[in-house]
Amino acid sequence: MSGSGGEGGHAGGPGDSPSVPIHLRPARDSDVSALIPLLLRLKRLNEEFDPLLKVRDDADQQARQVLKADISNPKAVVLAAEGVGADKDKVVGFVRALVRERPFYTPEHEGVILDIYLLPLYRRRGVGEYVLRETSNALKAKGAGVVTAEFPAQNEIATRFYSKRGFRPITAVQARSL
Amino acid sequence: MAQSSPSPVDPDRTARRKAREAAAAERSEDQTDLLGERALELSRFYAGKIETVPKVPVRSLADFALWYTPGVAAVSRAIQADPDSSFDLTGRWNTIAIVTDGSRVLGLGDIGPRAALPVMEGKALLFKVLGGVDAIPIPIQVKSPDQFIATVEAMAPAFGGINLEDIASPKCFGILEELSKRLSIPVWHDDQLGTAAATVAGLLNALELTHRSVREVRTVLLGAGAANLVTARLLLALGHPAHLLTLVDQKGILHADREDLDELELRNPWKYRFALKTNGGGRTGDLAVALEGADVLLAASTPNPGTIRPEHVRSMAKDPIVFALANPVPEIWPDVARGAGAAVVATGRSDFPNQVNNSLIFPAVFRGILDARARSIPDEVVLAAAKELARGAAIKGLSALHLLPTMEESEVFPLIAAAVGDTAVRLGIARRKLTHDEFLERARTLMGRPARLVRALARARLTPPMPQAPARRRRTK
Repeated sequence: MSGSGGEGGHAGGPGDSPSVPIHLRPARDSDVSALIPLLLRLKRLNEEFDPLLKVRDDADQQARQVLKADISNPKAVVLAAEGVGADKDKVVGFVRALVRERPFYTPEHEGVILDIYLLPLYRRRGVGEYVLRETSNALKAKGAGVVTAEFPAQNEIATRFYSKRGFRPITAVQARSL
Repeated sequence: MAQSSPSPVDPDRTARRKAREAAAAERSEDQTDLLGERALELSRFYAGKIETVPKVPVRSLADFALWYTPGVAAVSRAIQADPDSSFDLTGRWNTIAIVTDGSRVLGLGDIGPRAALPVMEGKALLFKVLGGVDAIPIPIQVKSPDQFIATVEAMAPAFGGINLEDIASPKCFGILEELSKRLSIPVWHDDQLGTAAATVAGLLNALELTHRSVREVRTVLLGAGAANLVTARLLLALGHPAHLLTLVDQKGILHADREDLDELELRNPWKYRFALKTNGGGRTGDLAVALEGADVLLAASTPNPGTIRPEHVRSMAKDPIVFALANPVPEIWPDVARGAGAAVVATGRSDFPNQVNNSLIFPAVFRGILDARARSIPDEVVLAAAKELARGAAIKGLSALHLLPTMEESEVFPLIAAAVGDTAVRLGIARRKLTHDEFLERARTLMGRPARLVRALARARLTPPMPQAPARRRRTK
């Protein structure tokens, strides 16, 4: 379970990346330590939405393993966001997405955005737009014909972000404790 | 004022200060208990603080053919044809609602709408006596901010303005924003705007006294509740650089990298936006870090005189300005703050010099805004009121011990009302455009009337004199 870090909804127009205060590139093994706290911030935010999203005590070790595995997984897209100018070389956000097969539907492959997180100072100004575009392109290059995003049902900021950009709910996941 | 260097702690002095603080706290507690008992007796005796009184002659029941049906139908038709004429043909022009859900009443917390009523009645009395405004107390039982908003929207046709009162933060921000958007009458939340305007007024004078400009000072706001978030907004509007503004709450300096920021974006987007805008004034850490070299401390946090320590004040820039506005007990006692080098000290209390009191603001703001029949209260209006209040201190002479007019210096209030009216006209939000002199004259008349009314009612024994307080033995320990 994962979600969007919450871009406030300033839709930058298409092709506005020159003013965007971040630069996206494929994540490397050496980024993992910098990515872990960002991933944990996102998961802790998700905790706010539902008690069934309570973060595990060993979440940091899990984060390390998951990130390492996905960075080397050819079916996954992990992008690191770096600052620009004085913040160059500082990892300020990331995206993690996976290409999944859809055995019963077409298009046959979907690119699932599992995590998007950007530190608060690097949001807005078209950043979310840019991240979504770059991620979609990377997923398409890996064969995805549809892009989906998973995030907590109660996260209205994420809901607004995606629906403003043409997304609509297609699958619902409901839960109860056992 | 020379900055005293931190002296080694003198244990006797610390003990003396502690004893002094304890004694003061106890005195104030005794005093509060006594006042409470008396208030309860008087409330029982008078059973309410305000009542409606006819303002037209009623010579005989026949007059009701004019005041009521059939005559009144013509008045209704006129308003139906021109809704804004409700401001001319009814008491709407001077009537406001005091609306609360009782979720944060005084220092009592979430006591609910019924228990909030005596407070709202008291506020209505202040509105009438100080501002000549007819205010109706309306505590409402609602379950959500949306329900609150819908209820107030539904009652707006009866009123020339809405005063929101004692609503918990942060929901008060969303309620005020949404109602201001939906209604074509001004909406005010005193805990945000009134307190912030009075604070800014005091600060402007403190800056003048210490030869500083708001454009170059480093300011720390302790407490990020209703009042301080609006104070921060007003300071930025006055040209205070965002990178020299540091907000501090229970978790320390509010900056953009703080772990709880995503949660804040959800629960308190107003505070979140300030975290991004100010980014801690370039600092991270606790209050002590925030205050190093700061020119100004505006504290509106928890009533505990140990919140700000003398060493905090000593670490500030030369001639620091310290506002300790928590009630009933300031975050630092004024003499302690001055002893640590503060050049100007203000509190929220009337028993110390320099009381920052929202009663200096709200009656006059409503007088001006109602006389202009304004559609809203933008920050420009709030700032105009703050600046006029600040100027008012000069009438009796601005000094470190006379930073703001006191409630007794009531000649200032009509001036504030007129400044508010002028600003509403300038901004194009006034339904009625009077000149400055007309606003001033009208405010003087309407604000002066209640005192005459109160005297006349007392003279005619229509308001019974206050019963004597029963003899009380002093509380023994």
